[in-house]
Formats: sequence, C-alpha cells, structure tokens
Amino acid sequence: MKKIRLGAGSAYWGDLLEPAVELANKGELDYLCFDHLSELTLAVLQRQKAKDPNEGYIHDIEPWIEATLPQARKQGFKLVTNAGGANPAAAARKVIEVAERLGINDLRIAVVTGDDIFPDLDEMRSIGIKFPNLDTGEEDIDRIRPDIVAANAYVGGDYIARGLAAGADVVVCGRVSDTALFIGPMMHEFGWTYDPKDNDKMGAAITIGHTVECAALATGAVSNLWRQARDPWRPGYPIAEVSEDATAVISKVEGSGGLLNEWTVKEQLVYEIGDPNNYFMPDGVADFTRVKVEEIAPERVKLSNMGGKGLPEKLKVCIGYRDGWEGEGSLMFSWPDAYEKAKRGERIIRERLKLLGVEPIELHFDYLGVNALHGPVAPEPHEMNEVGLRVAARTRTREEADTVKRESTHLWTLGGIGTGYLSPAQPRPSVSLWPTLVPRDQVQMKMTMVETSPVKT
Amino acid sequence: MQVKDVAYARSGDKGDVVNVGVLALDDAAYKRLVVALTPDRLKKHFGDWVRGDVEVFPMPNINGFNILLHNALGGGATKTLRYDVTGKAFSTALLRMELPE
Repeated sequence: MKKIRLGAGSAYWGDLLEPAVELANKGELDYLCFDHLSELTLAVLQRQKAKDPNEGYIHDIEPWIEATLPQARKQGFKLVTNAGGANPAAAARKVIEVAERLGINDLRIAVVTGDDIFPDLDEMRSIGIKFPNLDTGEEDIDRIRPDIVAANAYVGGDYIARGLAAGADVVVCGRVSDTALFIGPMMHEFGWTYDPKDNDKMGAAITIGHTVECAALATGAVSNLWRQARDPWRPGYPIAEVSEDATAVISKVEGSGGLLNEWTVKEQLVYEIGDPNNYFMPDGVADFTRVKVEEIAPERVKLSNMGGKGLPEKLKVCIGYRDGWEGEGSLMFSWPDAYEKAKRGERIIRERLKLLGVEPIELHFDYLGVNALHGPVAPEPHEMNEVGLRVAARTRTREEADTVKRESTHLWTLGGIGTGYLSPAQPRPSVSLWPTLVPRDQVQMKMTMVETSPVKT
Repeated sequence: MQVKDVAYARSGDKGDVVNVGVLALDDAAYKRLVVALTPDRLKKHFGDWVRGDVEVFPMPNINGFNILLHNALGGGATKTLRYDVTGKAFSTALLRMELPE
C-alpha cells in the first residue's frame, strides 16, 4: 500500500529551526510542511505590505528554506509553507534568491493566492453579501469598515495539490488553513478529492493534519507530561506516515528529544478545536469523536477509523481592524506585605489616570504570582515573597497609552518601599479580529508557477 | 479530589472562545468526569472570566471531553489585556476543580 511521510517543520512565526533541519536530514520525508501564521499575523503582515510592496511575508522563510532546501533537492522531498502571508509572490522571489545563492537553478515554485479578499470586500457587499461577527452576532461590518486592515479567507489544500501536480518543488501559500499544508500533499499523492465519495478520507486528512500541524505540540511541548519529555531544549518534530487507506502513524526522528505517546497525540487532538463532532475546515468537516488513537510501539502512535462529513458551503474569514492602542507596565513588589502593596499600587494608578484625565476604553490589572493566569479560580495567597503587578490598558489614542506606560513606572517611588519595575513595552496599535464567513464561490483561488532562472521549458 | 487527580487538560483559543480539552486517565475517571464537567459547574468554577455560555462535548473514543467557554478571553488573543493572551492556563485552572463525591 502506498505511504507518504509528512514532516511538520514549524508551528508558528518564530518557532525553533533546528528540529526542522533534523527532520530534513533524518526524517526520510516526502514532504516538509511549515506553518508560520496565527490569527493575528495577517493583520501585521498587511500593514508591512502597505508600507513596502516587497514586504508582507514571514521572513523566517529565508533561513527555513536555506536550511532545508539542499536536503530536499538531494532526497527529492517537497517543501510546503504558508510563510507567503499577505504577499506570497514576494516570498517566492525570496525563495528564488535563496535557491540561486545555493547554486540551485532548476527550482519550480508554486505560488498559491486568492485567500486575500480585502480588495474585494466592497464589491461583495454591493451584491448583498454580509459579514456577520460570529462571536458577537453583530450583523455586518459597517461600524468597522474604515478601520479594516486585513481580510483573509481560510482556504483549503486543493491548490497546493494543483501546484504539486504541476511539478512544484516548493509551494508558497498565504492564509491556507494550517491543516491544508498537509492535506494538499495527501490529495495530490492519493487522488483524494472533494467528491462526497471521499468524505471519510478527507476527514482523515484533516484529522492527521490537525494532529501534526502544531509541530512540537504533538511531541511533548505544552504537555501535562512535561516531566517525561527528554532534552526539552531539542524537541523532535512530528512525522505523519499516511497510508492510502486513510490511516496514519505519527512518529519522530529516532533519538530526538521531546515525548511522543498516546497522551501527547490526544493532547494535540483536542487542541484549539470547537465541536469535535464537526471540526470545520475548508477541506471538509472532520469527526474527531470516531478516531482511534493507539500506541503501537514506542514513539509510534496510530490513527485509524477517521471520518468526515463533506465540504462546508462557506469559508471562515478573519477580518482584522484597528481598535485603539495598548499601553502597559509591570512592577515587582517585595516582602513584607507584597500583595497589599501591589493592591495599593493598582489604586494609585487608577487615581493617577483620573487626575490626568485619561479614560482608557479598558483597564486591566494582573497580579503576577497571585492570579494572573487563573483569575477568579485562584485562591487567596498566604504570605508572598514578592508579587508582580502588571497594568494594561486599551485607549483611544497613542498618547493615552503612553501615559499609562509612564504612570506605571511611578510606582517604584509611590508604591511603598522595595519595588522594582521592568522597562515597559512601547505603546502599540491594538488590532481586533472579526471572525466571519464568506460563500466559497466568492473566493477565486489561483496557482502560479515561478522558476529560478534560467527558465526551463 | 480534584480534576488534577484523574485527568490531563490542554486549552487554547479561537477568537474569544477558549477550548479546554480534558483527557481522563482511565474508564473510571471518565465516568466521574461525566458527572463533574457540567456546563453549570464549569460556569461557576471559572467565575467572571467566562462571560458567555459553556458547552461540553464528550469524546468517548478517547475518554475525553472538549469544553467550549464562550466570551472567555476578554475579546480574543489580539485584543485581550490579560497576561495569558491565548488562554493556555485555562487548562491548569480547570485541574483545580473539585470532583463531587
């Protein structure tokens, strides 16, 4: 039975590079897939592109491609990445630059675009399409229209498959779903399609993609079993060995760090999901309540009995919009009476802001060491060695955010005695997300092939 | 006894929704958690950090549950003023919950 090996080489912008190189060198891969995007990233990248038309992609693409492309060429595996962000064409130019620097001159790069619907929003609205906020229920985007900085549909793996079928060595995408990076190769290799006869196979593809897309998060990172993770400074990233019968074995490079067992795979299965009976992705709806997770050998976990329910009619869209400014500051209060001094510090900041006429849209205090992470679930502490106080505010203007930052520093003198402060972060624009949907037929996907020079025909 | 004694948990965010996946350590633990993890008890446990509804989806295939906490992240990761912007510590906060006898 035909099998392919897919490696997960990155889970987020700024992830560790060496485990990806380890996968490239020792993973015996057919595909190495990199996820670099989060919900917020596109708003940041669109701003960069607005300032410079050659920007708007994830710069990590350069070291990642440089470190893995030579092995990819030697062994014949393909690279798939969403580092294109808001500007896949510019990212592809960077890949060409890297390839030529490495002396590789017959590289084919598929550029997948169409997810960026920002330029089309007004036209879609003119024909009656509405973009309701799925979190708040607000009916359409009228209120935020002038402040929108990005609007991207989460698209599927079909155009990645097209690029691979056209002979691409590297596929550069924008906002494809994280799972699509893995699903595209499966569609290409196994001939799986969106036809209802393949619903269960696509459900399996989504489940497998979801299981590995967060890289080290399936191999002992963010884990209840953190004590058991070997050499946590060098985690092995996961490999999905997918069979044509829509089962898979999750493994990692022998001798790599981290931890891979039934529990770490289950931890990832339930990570960042909604209704597990209906896990919506652009490539289908997967049912996570059927999958069987089995540890068949040390560091080998089998996924079987996976299923799906067909293609959703609409695609998820993330609209990012400017929503004021954020200013913050952090202080540490010492024994004795650390917590009491910190609480008095909150009062002082509130009074100072009142005195200066600053009215934040939202003002928030975290007590580090007390309840910053567990909030109301945390019990009252006993005597503390030290307590941190973090003040954060969302304001209408940059000046107000700056005032919040400046006022926080005054607590080192006004906050009692024995108080230190951290150099506060600069005020930053606050971007809010508006989760919504768009009819699938409104999103026009495109795959363009570019090549290193000299162009071969 | 607390959830910590019978299960693992991992949490994350999707917009202003926090999800907490819970993995019971064995069949007996799963049965106890079916009783313990009700929307009402969860809503009470998380207090004013969860402003919206609570949904609980059993996943008997893995002796697990997925819990959705709506309007629980102060507006979502990009906007919240909280220290834990992606809700990663909701998992360990859930582990504090007491199990009914």
